[in-house]
Amino acid sequence: MLLHRFILKSALVLLLGAGQLSGAASSDDAATTLRSSVEEVLSIAYSGHANETLAARVRPALEKCFAFDIVTRQAMGPGWRQFSTTEQKRVTDLFSELMIRTYSGRVVGTQRPKIVFGSPVATASDRCEIPTRVTTSSSNEPIAVAYRMIKLPAGWRIYDVLIEGVSFVANYRAQFDELIQKGGAVAAIRTLEAKLAQPVPSNS
Amino acid sequence: MNHSIFRILVLLLCLSVCAVAENHSAAKGVHPSDSDLTDVPVPKTNDPWQRLNRTTFRFNDGLNTYALRPVAHGYAAIVPLRVRTGVTNFFDNLNYPVRFINSVLQGKITRSAQETGKFVINSTAGVGGLIRVSDHISSIADVPAEDFGQTLGVWGICSGPYFVIPILGPSDCRDVVGFGGDYAMNPLNWHTLGIIHDAFIPNAVSIALSGTKFVNGLPKSVESYDQLKAEAVDPYVAMRDAYLSYRAAQVKK
Repeated sequence: MLLHRFILKSALVLLLGAGQLSGAASSDDAATTLRSSVEEVLSIAYSGHANETLAARVRPALEKCFAFDIVTRQAMGPGWRQFSTTEQKRVTDLFSELMIRTYSGRVVGTQRPKIVFGSPVATASDRCEIPTRVTTSSSNEPIAVAYRMIKLPAGWRIYDVLIEGVSFVANYRAQFDELIQKGGAVAAIRTLEAKLAQPVPSNS
Repeated sequence: MNHSIFRILVLLLCLSVCAVAENHSAAKGVHPSDSDLTDVPVPKTNDPWQRLNRTTFRFNDGLNTYALRPVAHGYAAIVPLRVRTGVTNFFDNLNYPVRFINSVLQGKITRSAQETGKFVINSTAGVGGLIRVSDHISSIADVPAEDFGQTLGVWGICSGPYFVIPILGPSDCRDVVGFGGDYAMNPLNWHTLGIIHDAFIPNAVSIALSGTKFVNGLPKSVESYDQLKAEAVDPYVAMRDAYLSYRAAQVKK
């Protein structure tokens, strides 16, 4: 299967965007702050503590740098507009939880990955994409990871991550589309709750 | 390659060429910076055989759970990671003709030269390809691997309907044809296909090598699948989107 290369390559790299992002004014500033974010998250992920507690430990750093509300809204697609405010809040909380769990579940091994940062590409006046190449101890080849960032009043935030060309947001968006068309917010909430109730797979 | 297989590949290629354009927008996606993605309708995916594909997906899921995963875990327990990596490197190096020919077919001459350099260095200094010495040479450390599915994509042939193959997993019509092309270009299959006639290499050796390659890759592929399943709210769609996006990105490289 060709796909396994992509998924394995993506091990832990989603985590690399965490950390404090300041209110930088340009995409160059976004890149600079992304670098420090990577360092912060790697420090947490490879501090030698048990992986079972990683999700809780990494949560504050992720909440500071990810625009969870934008990620969730875009992952839900057009159906989002039909959600009530309460439903939107509930879905955002649940999806954020799933994202954090996903990221912490991808920390594998004990060796820090090596990261090479590319030049940021401005995609709009308030958005940019920052390519990186990541080499992990378990991957034979470098992994292409791109961060899409948006400048909000509070500073630069990550709103999507692309691993080998596969968008995190678009992938969940495709999954939720039919679900929300058929069952609306109730179906999305029920599905997310059921997903989060499943035990977390242990990291290898 | 016998004629019936060839006919099937041609049929799939025709399907891929004909059944395309209207739904191909799925692979293109929409860049969030263009507008707020929330309000953009989700592109339709070219998946007219979804009912059959979901059935095959469930079959593969069962196969993964009850057959492949135990084999993968057993193999990983017996064979150390370092050895598995060496075996992967060996087969990857052996696959050089596939990458070289497809680089040429796509007009990427520099890339074909890089592949040749990688092959020579890894085959010699890398002890027959077991060690990827090329990883330490910056000019050839990161060469995108080309295959025939990508070549067809570069030639303008659309991916055609999404297609889940029993045991092998996600694919599309173009990649099924590509798989056939890569199979023929891989030296591992040259004896089986009658391209070389060496009495000292019986078919059993080719089959044993192919089996080793398959089993050696199982721990990674099973782990990947389990990871995707653990994260997805609809594993079938998650796999489909990831596959199509990944392949579309590879064609562009």
